[in-house]
Amino acid sequence: MKTQFDKLLPALVQAGVEFVLIGGVAGIIHGAARVTYDVDIVYARSGANLARLAAALAPLNPYLRGAPAGLPFRWDAATLRNGLNFTLTTAAGDIDLLGEVVGGGDYERLLPHSCEVEAFDVSFRCVSLAKLIELKRAAGRPKDFEAIAELESLLDEQSL
Amino acid sequence: MKRLAGFDTMKARSVNDPVIAAFRQHVDLSLLRENLKLTPAQRLAKLQSAVAFTGELRRAGRRMRDAEGSG
Repeated sequence: MKTQFDKLLPALVQAGVEFVLIGGVAGIIHGAARVTYDVDIVYARSGANLARLAAALAPLNPYLRGAPAGLPFRWDAATLRNGLNFTLTTAAGDIDLLGEVVGGGDYERLLPHSCEVEAFDVSFRCVSLAKLIELKRAAGRPKDFEAIAELESLLDEQSL
Repeated sequence: MKRLAGFDTMKARSVNDPVIAAFRQHVDLSLLRENLKLTPAQRLAKLQSAVAFTGELRRAGRRMRDAEGSG
């Protein structure tokens, strides 16, 4: 299924969800050339934000990505409260919801390392390029080596 | 978009990893420089187009395999 970034991100913003965009889409915002297919966010764990997040995605019928069809899955604030990180597929594409991220901590810790971005007629917080590199390094996944190399090159290009 | 905090930038540069250095030799800087001429919104729109294009290619591949299977 085609990811509709222009639907997913505005849905979150318009519902007032507090989040910081990380991952490949954040890399794109900073100028990366690598195509990515899912949205990764670190979201605030306050009760009010869990309710907003649940309401924002409900119309997009979120379901656990890769889980067999028919598995009982209730999408609401209670489910969010009982879990932490969720890999979901929705009618607008795939989204990973992270309560915490390795190397970055939770929303409150990541927020000072983010910047405001305007796109799709909304504005939202996106992790800084330097912090994104730190997160990728902390994840320690071989698949990220190329991405880190590209992001470090971007950091150098931006400071020229 | 606001510029980076200086501290973050220094920290990101503080690691000299030989593996990443090897990968950096193969980064296509021309692609990055073209992207840096765009606004963040334009970069996201470009991603959206690339994802749609990839999806269309996948569908075409599936149609081709189906046709070969039934032929």
